[in-house]
Amino acid sequence: MPPNPPAHAPVSPASDAPTQKEDHVTRKIRARYLAPAVLGAAAMALATAGTASGAAAHATHKKSKAVKLTVERPASGTISEAGSSLLYPLWNLWVPGYNAKYPQVTVQTAAGGSGHGISEATAGTIQIGSSDAYLSTSDKQAAKTLENIPLAISAQEIFYHLTGVTAHLKLSGRVLAQIYDGKVTKWNTAAIAKLNPGVSLPSIPIVTLHRSDGSGDTFLFTTYLSDSTKGWASKVGYNTTVTWPSAPGALGETGNSGMLAGCKATPGCIAYVGISYQTQALGDGLVYAQLKNGKGQYIMPSPTTVAAEAAGFAKKTPKTGAQSMIDGKIKNGYPIINYEYAIVSKRQSSSSEAKAVRSLLEWAINPADGNNATYLSQVGFRPLPLRVADNSFGEIKAIK
Amino acid sequence: MTTAQNAAGAAGVPPPAARGPIRTRPGDVLRSVAAALRAGETGAWRWGARVAVLLPFAALVFVVAVLAVKAYPAVRLNGGSFFTHSAWKIGSTYAQTVKTDGIAHPLGSSYGAWPMIAGTLQTSAIAVVIALPISIGCAFALTERLPRFLSRPLGFAIELLAGVPSVVLGLWGVLTFGPALSKTVYPFIATHLPNVPVFSFFKGTVGHGEGLLTGGLVLTLMIVPIITATTADLFRQVPTLPKEGGEALGMTDFEVANKITLRWVRSGIIGATVLGLGRALGETMALVLTVGAIFKVAPNVYSPMTTIAAAIATQLDSALTDGTGFSVASLAEIALVLAVMSVLVNLAARWIVHRTSRLGGPVGRAA
Repeated sequence: MPPNPPAHAPVSPASDAPTQKEDHVTRKIRARYLAPAVLGAAAMALATAGTASGAAAHATHKKSKAVKLTVERPASGTISEAGSSLLYPLWNLWVPGYNAKYPQVTVQTAAGGSGHGISEATAGTIQIGSSDAYLSTSDKQAAKTLENIPLAISAQEIFYHLTGVTAHLKLSGRVLAQIYDGKVTKWNTAAIAKLNPGVSLPSIPIVTLHRSDGSGDTFLFTTYLSDSTKGWASKVGYNTTVTWPSAPGALGETGNSGMLAGCKATPGCIAYVGISYQTQALGDGLVYAQLKNGKGQYIMPSPTTVAAEAAGFAKKTPKTGAQSMIDGKIKNGYPIINYEYAIVSKRQSSSSEAKAVRSLLEWAINPADGNNATYLSQVGFRPLPLRVADNSFGEIKAIK
Repeated sequence: MTTAQNAAGAAGVPPPAARGPIRTRPGDVLRSVAAALRAGETGAWRWGARVAVLLPFAALVFVVAVLAVKAYPAVRLNGGSFFTHSAWKIGSTYAQTVKTDGIAHPLGSSYGAWPMIAGTLQTSAIAVVIALPISIGCAFALTERLPRFLSRPLGFAIELLAGVPSVVLGLWGVLTFGPALSKTVYPFIATHLPNVPVFSFFKGTVGHGEGLLTGGLVLTLMIVPIITATTADLFRQVPTLPKEGGEALGMTDFEVANKITLRWVRSGIIGATVLGLGRALGETMALVLTVGAIFKVAPNVYSPMTTIAAAIATQLDSALTDGTGFSVASLAEIALVLAVMSVLVNLAARWIVHRTSRLGGPVGRAA
């Protein structure tokens, strides 16, 4: 459930004095979380009075770990961000909102793919690299100061271009692997028709679209395929760049927008696109599929199903934030969701630059600011669970 | 003797004739200072010229050396199969890195550059084969057949085409040219060619505009101005006497053009073609946009594929996500292959020019 909307509109010009603003935000957080938490703790203590003292101790131990999500006020600075095209539309919404409060920081955003974001952040040419994929083992070995900070929860959808088919086709990971492997080449093949009785599929060839740039979307899609079929896992595997098997007529596109443009121009195409492009895709006449999850159900992507899947992973997510949320065995959960990561180095070039970066990221994960429904609902994202937001806050504080 | 006289003597200028008390005139001072400067200037000029001459060569050696050093780990591990295998696999960077022969790389990485090399050769071949007749005909028309009021603006227009940035041509190719061709010309060719095995490369699925033929045609547009301009200059240098003599002997216009004019400048045309071929081999941005990015040898002439330059441009970001640096080393290896290919093409062209300018020159032409 989205938190209460803030008292001030996110894009209104800042009129309060800076210190007042900070206290105002902190006070809101405190008002929202501390009071019910204290009441809850008191209630729990009363309820467990007489039982083992361990339970009460556990309750108070939990309470002492609650983190206040604050937003620092930065000095002036310039931050460069580049990377994931999935997160890019949200950055374009966040930056004006952030600048409304803190106009002294200039933020430059760019797309380019998650691989680009990771490599640029490793090289140090940008401060924030956006990625749908967490850092790989070799990335971490190459640059030991990088951390991946979850910012929001996004999802990926499978779009197809079939004139005359308006139904949301049911597709499973196994069938998708067969399609991208070139084993299923026409839309009316038995494998697809079996899952979709009653839908008349045209007998046109399937044109598979994949990302030719280093893409977090490729990482998510290939993880889903690897989890569904052992053949894919051993032959292709999962990564931001993979060697795609030869499917007839396969096309490589750059960026999520490239995938949409290619799919719109190609009847019979199938493409994996991030949820932030859903409005554009639907406007282009594309339809998204229902995907089979770990429980064997066919789930439509929607805020409820994404939230259900995310809730199942909230406790499992480690402090580093690196957690794959693909294909969890969660009832009514949409199988392809992920954390959107900011790849940032713990060592910034100057302390004022570090403060600007911390300020922007803290603003982004704050439920009253960046993680608010006013921003996230425009791109179909979900806010971070509180526990994960606390972890992210700790990671942000480590940036010096 | 004054210093002026000393300097003058040193520079070989005769001292001013002595007339009464020796007085240094301003003109003498200027002359001797200029002489002294010239003596030093020669040294500075010579040395500056030597450095300038060596600079391009040094740059070439530096580029090739840096590439070779960067590519060394990949050269050692990839071996000869680099040129024959078809898979460009970065490996699983999310698993542990392994060491082969002391070189760290992700598990499962294997690099084969055959599709890229084949793609480069295919696109360049298509471009040169289509551009050569067009350019020679164009240059001939401009210099020998068209009236002045037409040849001047047309020649200017062709030079303007040479100035169009390759990224602009690539964008036009992928948004307009390619799709238009795939809806009209490609289906016509694919359906109307006879069903003979020789033509099977030109039949089949026509695609949507991004592919080998579209890339080749955009490359053609890029190299036609180069070859045309050089060939037109060559045609202008052919002396009129042999041509008029041929006409007088009763040769037709076409025979004069073929046997006299063209043969006179044959080696020069080869040189011009190599200039165009050099541009085609290394062309990056136009091909990145028009050729698709599929790492397989094109099964037919309309399918998406990749070339060396396009692959390096599109794969660099992905290669940088490999923390071991092995992927970047493989890219450096294929870049080295392209550099060597260009140098070899240039050398071969020089050899051919050397051969053709000696043998079989037309009558009357000094060898």
